[in-house]
Amino acid sequence: KKMASKIRVVLRPVKSIVVRFCPFESNVESTRKFLGYINHKKIQTTNRNCEVTADVRHDGSEPLVDVMFADGERLIMKGANLTTIEMLTALGSRCNAKELKEEQKSKK
Amino acid sequence: APATKMAALSGGGAPWRRGWLPALQFIRRGSKAVTRHWKAMHFQRQKLMAVTEYLAPRPAVPPRCLAPRKETLEEDNGYVRLLRRQVEEVFRNNRMIAVCQYNSMPGEDVVLMRHYLRKHNIEVKFVLNEIVRPVLSQSKYKNLLPLFVARNILLVSPETKAKEMLRVLKGVPQINLLGACIDDTILSRQGVENFAKLPLLEAAQGQTVGALALLPSQTSSLLQRGSAHLTALLDQHIRRLQAGETESPAEPPPAQSS
Repeated sequence: KKMASKIRVVLRPVKSIVVRFCPFESNVESTRKFLGYINHKKIQTTNRNCEVTADVRHDGSEPLVDVMFADGERLIMKGANLTTIEMLTALGSRCNAKELKEEQKSKK
Repeated sequence: APATKMAALSGGGAPWRRGWLPALQFIRRGSKAVTRHWKAMHFQRQKLMAVTEYLAPRPAVPPRCLAPRKETLEEDNGYVRLLRRQVEEVFRNNRMIAVCQYNSMPGEDVVLMRHYLRKHNIEVKFVLNEIVRPVLSQSKYKNLLPLFVARNILLVSPETKAKEMLRVLKGVPQINLLGACIDDTILSRQGVENFAKLPLLEAAQGQTVGALALLPSQTSSLLQRGSAHLTALLDQHIRRLQAGETESPAEPPPAQSS
């Protein structure tokens, strides 16, 4: 079993993250844990400009994570049926891919 | 060394057959039976050891297929009981209890936040979900149960200063208000914001009294309108007569009886 704290996410290509959930629902556990992990020191130090906002509602809507990248791309993760580790790995893989692309561009 | 051995064996006794003794070929390398390094076992011994290796007994059905044994961890040590009692006390003594999600904050920020909230008599309590959940499920706050997932803190206060609390929390981005229980009423975040926007209780009471007193005051003024009109007319009449008296003092003032 993988520990979520071992997953390294480099948030440099990310502009902002909005986490929306309704705490009185029962399917929000993974989204809340995801929010907790993003706000950890290690990941926050990779990018200080990334704004993490938590939107707490009470309208029965499902938990949502909206990631806005610096090059205009948008990643929406519906956390109702996802685990925290899945969400973190998805975000991490996309960030790494973007980092590689940027490095290649800067090398050229 | 093999040469010396051969010499010793062959030279010792008379009836040794000349020739090749099979025992000698096993001491080619010259090491003794008990060595300080690992010595390879004799091949027959190796075979014996391989055959007689220990095989762990395996159950016929793997244990996960059987019904799981209910491992009741009913340790219930005194510390857990103490914490539960504290939580119950907190719920009983305080009018306002707010539940917030705690994402890791640097230590100084925590201390600063605690300081600001203490000024408004709001205490910050760190709670563990496994202690709070059983307490809540037995008390009347069952609807607060789904809130207690992931790391949480409780902000408790005997007064209901929602506006100041919201102001402090706005300055701390890593703490998210999830919901609150004010005066035994469960409110969501929106509800807390609305509650904060309400005017003070005394002001609200004053407004209600004013609104209630409006109609009776209108009624009383209506009822008194007739007699008030009469008195006003008579007063005017007196004034006119007095003004007329200064010119001609013959007429007596008529309004003495009324």
